[in-house]
Parts: sequence; structure tokens; C-alpha cells
Amino acid sequence: MTDPLVIFDLLLALAIVALAVAALSVRDLYAMIVVFVIFGLLSALAWVRLSAPDVALAEAAIGTGVTGALLLKTLHHLRFASGQRSVSMTPTIPVPTGVMLANAAFCGLITLGLAVAFLGAPSAGPGFDTLVAESMPASGVDHPVTGVLLNFRAYDTLMEVVVLLAAVVAVWQIERGLSDAPAPEMGEVWQGFARLALPAIVVVGTYLLWVGAEAPGGAFQGGAVLAAVGLLLLLTRAYVPQPHHRGIARGAFVLGTGVFALVALLVAGGGRVAFEYPLDHAKTLILLIEGMVTISIAVTLAALFHGREPVALRMEDRHDT
Amino acid sequence: MTPDLDPMILAIFLPLFGAIAAFMLPRAAAVIGLVTLAMTTGAVFWLAQRVLATGAVIVPLGGWGAPLGIDLRADGLSVAMLLLTSAVGFLVSVAALDSLKGADQARQRQYFWPLWLLLLTGMNGVYLSTDIFNLYVMIEVIALAAVGLTVLSGTKAALRAGLEYMYASILGALLFLMGVGFVYMQAGQLDFAGLIAAEPSAAMSAALALMIVGLLLKTALFPLHFWLPAAHANATAPASALLSGLVVKAALYIFLRLTTYMPLPDEILITLIGALGAGAVLWGGVQALRAERLKLLVAWSTVVQIGLIFIAFARAGQVGLAESWKAAALLILAHGVAKAAMFLAAGRIKDEIGHDRIRDLDRAPVRPTLAQFTFALAAISLIGLPPSLGFIGKWSLMEGAMSAGYWHWVVITMIGTLMSVAYFSRVLSAFLRFDRVRAPVGEHQGWALADAAPLTLALTAIGLGLMAAPILRFIEIGYPFGAAL
Repeated sequence: MTDPLVIFDLLLALAIVALAVAALSVRDLYAMIVVFVIFGLLSALAWVRLSAPDVALAEAAIGTGVTGALLLKTLHHLRFASGQRSVSMTPTIPVPTGVMLANAAFCGLITLGLAVAFLGAPSAGPGFDTLVAESMPASGVDHPVTGVLLNFRAYDTLMEVVVLLAAVVAVWQIERGLSDAPAPEMGEVWQGFARLALPAIVVVGTYLLWVGAEAPGGAFQGGAVLAAVGLLLLLTRAYVPQPHHRGIARGAFVLGTGVFALVALLVAGGGRVAFEYPLDHAKTLILLIEGMVTISIAVTLAALFHGREPVALRMEDRHDT
Repeated sequence: MTPDLDPMILAIFLPLFGAIAAFMLPRAAAVIGLVTLAMTTGAVFWLAQRVLATGAVIVPLGGWGAPLGIDLRADGLSVAMLLLTSAVGFLVSVAALDSLKGADQARQRQYFWPLWLLLLTGMNGVYLSTDIFNLYVMIEVIALAAVGLTVLSGTKAALRAGLEYMYASILGALLFLMGVGFVYMQAGQLDFAGLIAAEPSAAMSAALALMIVGLLLKTALFPLHFWLPAAHANATAPASALLSGLVVKAALYIFLRLTTYMPLPDEILITLIGALGAGAVLWGGVQALRAERLKLLVAWSTVVQIGLIFIAFARAGQVGLAESWKAAALLILAHGVAKAAMFLAAGRIKDEIGHDRIRDLDRAPVRPTLAQFTFALAAISLIGLPPSLGFIGKWSLMEGAMSAGYWHWVVITMIGTLMSVAYFSRVLSAFLRFDRVRAPVGEHQGWALADAAPLTLALTAIGLGLMAAPILRFIEIGYPFGAAL
């Protein structure tokens, strides 16, 4: 117990729980989002302490960065719709006591289940570690996480990318036709900031993708960082989505899924099954897949932030942000 | 390089590529969708033939093999579910051509196909999966595509229902994922074969319970059904048919698989599940009796039928589990076909009459008789009258319960049947009543080619009852899991 890091870990765990409680109990939505973002950053730190830097990167980039931006944008819409500066989350219809009690009982049971499962679990149970270590030479990459994600369990990863595709298709099909009001304008972002930040973001994102083969990083993390480029472009109005760009955007959304699935199918044959990359080309194929998936993730996340399909507007002066 | 084609790979990748193509080429989406559905159905029939000839088949993706990699496995039950999904899906797609043809439905036409094909990818993936983490990913694919289909109509009610559906769905998936995590901590493996060998313990049971609660939320077993009626009633007709007939079955299927393979369920848990099913039958029945709209009534009947499937699962307690899953599977198949037919027919009736208020159905001068006939046929299967597949399912439920001496399940099933007669009669009597119409009744108005698909489905629901014995033999192929490996 002399290790000072233990104290740090304890403080970190306490802080995370406290922030989660704070995020749930704060009534003002803006404050809630801020607390949530801090919560995400500390969670990322916790993942680092748990020796899972890949998860930490993903948590920081997607769970905190992109999610925070999405939440702030939603808040902006809510403020615009209600015409108020601060939006609180007091429910308009009171919840019946019976429903509350039932929910509380349900949550209690879930917590009980979690507690039993956690307390009974072995602290260092059997896992794939040895199996993965043995099979790494045949995977074509050096980083075990990338080996699992892009080779051993590539099918899961393909379907994760499909989840993202389904999300953006679902968002695009929701017409914001319920109210005819144009989307509220976001605040200004200083162009100079974009000029400074964009090159750095591009370098960081690409580096994360490239380094994924031998160190923590990879398509999801790189894509999320690159999505920030899209966010900045949208916020600074350096790029305004136009209806005739839809074809390109659709292409970018499906690029990752399409290339991934095609590679998985085309490597089959001659005794090999789908997803069985020939060892000589494994690294090239994995990098190709990761590159395409990164582009798709970046464009998809930026499109989710934009929030709607750019359709032809009836009035010229409507801003479509 | 000529890729080796395998029907299992095709069943998952055809709809995936179809979805991409339909999304890229919105104008040709309908054609792409129908062709994809036809090809997927073909691949599933090919797979069925192979399973009939050789028993359960396996594809180790990436050549790694479980537990490191992921295996696809098809046995009788998976193929039966695949056949249900693709065949019902094809007929619903044909019906969708008509029900999405309105001038104001351009966006719906454009987005229905990619979402539906992604949904098909996810469902086929579930039925072929042997890995619990992979199942989690698949139910996420299903969830997002299904929410997209729920809000397709774009009405405020549909959006609200869709949001609730998404919350329930994500919460369910999250619970499932936490359970998967704890199972992995215990067993060190994620594939079914590894789980069969896992040692039972309190922690393992808790992890499984978490997964099962997540699944119950997704399949809308009482009292976790709160999201279903609004979501299914407010979607457009083909989307409702897919959501009610097929989507809830994916979580049900995973539940059946888990309980078959895992060192689970003790008597108390099985009784509890049966009791929840009984709650669904009674509560859903009351709500269906009170429903004011046709589609809402049909949606509540889904809640009832889900409850019935769980009663079938629990009908003979722990000893009977080796047989009970078959009764549940029969009811799943019967409900899938009949409910898709019924939702499509309800959509047709609404299209022709212009509303779906049950109270005013008998005042309409327009009587879309063919759609009404379809509705009645589907009701026959859902009530469980012979010779429909619904009857066989209910009969095998009660037979098993009686031989195990569990008469309470028989009583509940009987009450549920009587209630279903009552609530469907509300609709059927309105179809047959003509004395409240002032204008001359156009009895044969509203016949259209669009009735063909739902009618085929309803006739299938009745006719499949005659093939119950071969179906039962078929779903047993490759059971239990370990024996076929």
C-alpha cells in the first residue's frame, strides 16, 4: 500500500462516481453537459490506469469529444426552440409514484445483479491473452488490440462500422419537417483558430490511424479526431453542406463498410474462408481497411454533428447548419 | 480470384451490399431491395438444403475458429428463423411497394430500403452467430435500423415512440453487454461451446440474469413492454409488420439459445418467466380490448403473443426445457407470419377507409373485403384455431403443460385465448356489420394487387399448421449444440 498511485486511483474512482452523480442531479442542461465532459475525461484517465490505452483514446475522442459536441449542439437547438437562455430538465408531466417505485425496484434488482456478478468474478480470470499472443505472428500486425479488432474478430468490427452506417442513415431520414423553422445559427468561431488547429488535427488523426498497427490507436480513434476537422469546418462555415454534395457524402459513409466487406469476401477462395487474409498481404489489407474505415468514421461523425441531410431549401436566406 | 461462396456468408453479406447499393442509388432503391430479398431468400433455401443433407454446418470466419475467432453456425432452428425472416421479409417488401407509393412519401421510399436491408443483415447475423459478443454487436445493428424504420412516417407520435424505443433498446443492449463482460470474466470465452462447459456459480447466474433482462427489454416481455405498443402502432404498415413480426423475434431467439446452452435456469426463474408471460397475456389482453385504433390493438396483441411464447418456454418447468423450446419456436414462427399479415392488412384497411378507428369501421361505405379477409385469417392463427400454425403451437404448449401437471399454464392460455377472441371480434364484427352505413356500401371496393402479399402471408400462417410435423423435425436438426460439433 505504499504505492502513491493507489491513492491516485482511489481519488480518481471517487471523482468519477461523484461526477456521475453530479451529472445526474444538476438541473441546468449546460452545466450537465460540462460535468459529463469532465466525467468522460476522467474515465479516459481511468482506462489509462487500467492499462487499456486504446479504450482511453476512444473514450476521450468519441465518448467525450464528439459526444460533448453533439450534446452542446442539441442544447443549442433546445434553447432556440424554447427561446430561453437556460434550459432545465424539469419534466412537464409528473411521473406517477407507482411508476417511480417500479423503476426504483427494477434498478435495485439490476444493481444487485451487477454486485453479485462483480463480487463473484475472479480477479484475474482466464481470457484470450495467451491465445492472442500465440496467434499474433499470423495476424500481420504487431499490436494485439489491432490484431483482435481487424483480424481475429474482424467480423465484429465490420458490424460495428455497419452500426455507424445505420445511425447516419437513420439520422438522415428524419426530416426536421416538424417545425418549418430554419436551424438556429451556431455562434461564430474565429477563423484564425481553425487555421492553426486544422493542420494539427489532421496530423494527429492520421498518426493515430497509422500507429495503430503497432501501438495504441487505430481507425475509430483516428476517425474521431479527424471528425473534429469536419466540426471546425462546419462551425467556421468554411464548408456549408449543399444538396448536390449528398452523393459524395453517401459514398464517404459507405466507403469503410463497403471496402471492409469486399476485402473480407474477396480473400476467400482457394481453401480460405471469408476474412482469412493471406499472411503476405495481411498488413497491407488491414491498413487499407483501416484507412477507408477512418474516412467513413470521420465523415459520418461530422455528418451526425451536422444532423440532417442537406436538402434543397425553399428560401434562399435560410442557413443550413 | 474467385471467392468461395457459402450460403451463410451470402445470407449476411447480400443484404449488407444491398443496403449500400440502395443507399447510394435512391432512385433504384426499390428494385435493389426486391432483388436483394429474392437473392437472400434463395441463399437461405440453399442453406436449408445443406442443413437438411448434412446437419449443422459451421464457417470459421478468418480461419481462426472459436474461441479466438468467430464461427457462423447454422442448425435447424437458425435456418427456420432465417427462412421466416427472409420469406416474410420478401412478402412485406412486395407489399411495401404499394404502401409507400404516395406522392408525399418520396423520402420514405428512399430510406425504407437501406434501413430494412441493414435490419435484415443484423437479424440474419443473429441467427447465424455462436458468439455472445457478436450477438451484442448484431442487436445494436438491429436496434438502430429498427428505430430508423419506426420513425419513418415522420409523424410526431412516431418520433416520440421511436425515441422511447431507442432508449429501451439501448438500455437492453447495455444490460446484455454488461452480462457478456461478466460472463467473459468467469468463463474466459465468448462462444457458445465454451459457455456450455462453464461452471455454474452465483456470479455466472447473475451475469446471465443481466443478459436475459436486457433481452426481455428488447423483446418487450411484460412489464418491460412499455415501449412496444406506441412504436409498432405509429410506424408505417410495412415497418410495423417487420418490427412486430420479425424484429422482436431476434431477442427471443437469443433468449432461447442462451437458456439452452447455459448452466442456467432453476425452477424459480423459469416460473418467474412464465409468470411474466402470464402478466403479458392478461394485461395485453385488457389493453387490446380497450384500444381505440386498429393498429394499436394489433400492437397489443403482439405483447400478448410474446407473453404466450414465454409461457410455452416455461410450460413444463426445468425438466421439460428440452422439449419446451420447440413449442416456443413454433409459436415464434406462427406469430411472425401471422402478425406480419395482420399489420399489412391493417395498413391496407387504413389506406382504403382513410382511418383506423375501430369504433367507426362499421360506418365506412368502403369495405376493402380482401384486406378484411386477410385480417380474419391472421386472427384465426393468432387466436389459435385449427389448422393454423398458431393452433399447433398453442396445442403443444398446453399438451406439455398438462403432461407435466402444470395446469395453471393451461388456464392462463385458455383465458388468453378467450380474450383474443373477444378483442379480435371487436374488429371482425365491425367488418361484418352493414346496418350503420347510410350510403350504399361498396362491398368490393378496394381490392388491389397490394392485397396479394398479406393474403399470401395469412394463408401461409394457416397452411403451415398442416406441415407442423416436418417443421418440428427440421428445427431439431443440430440440437443440442455440443452433439453436432
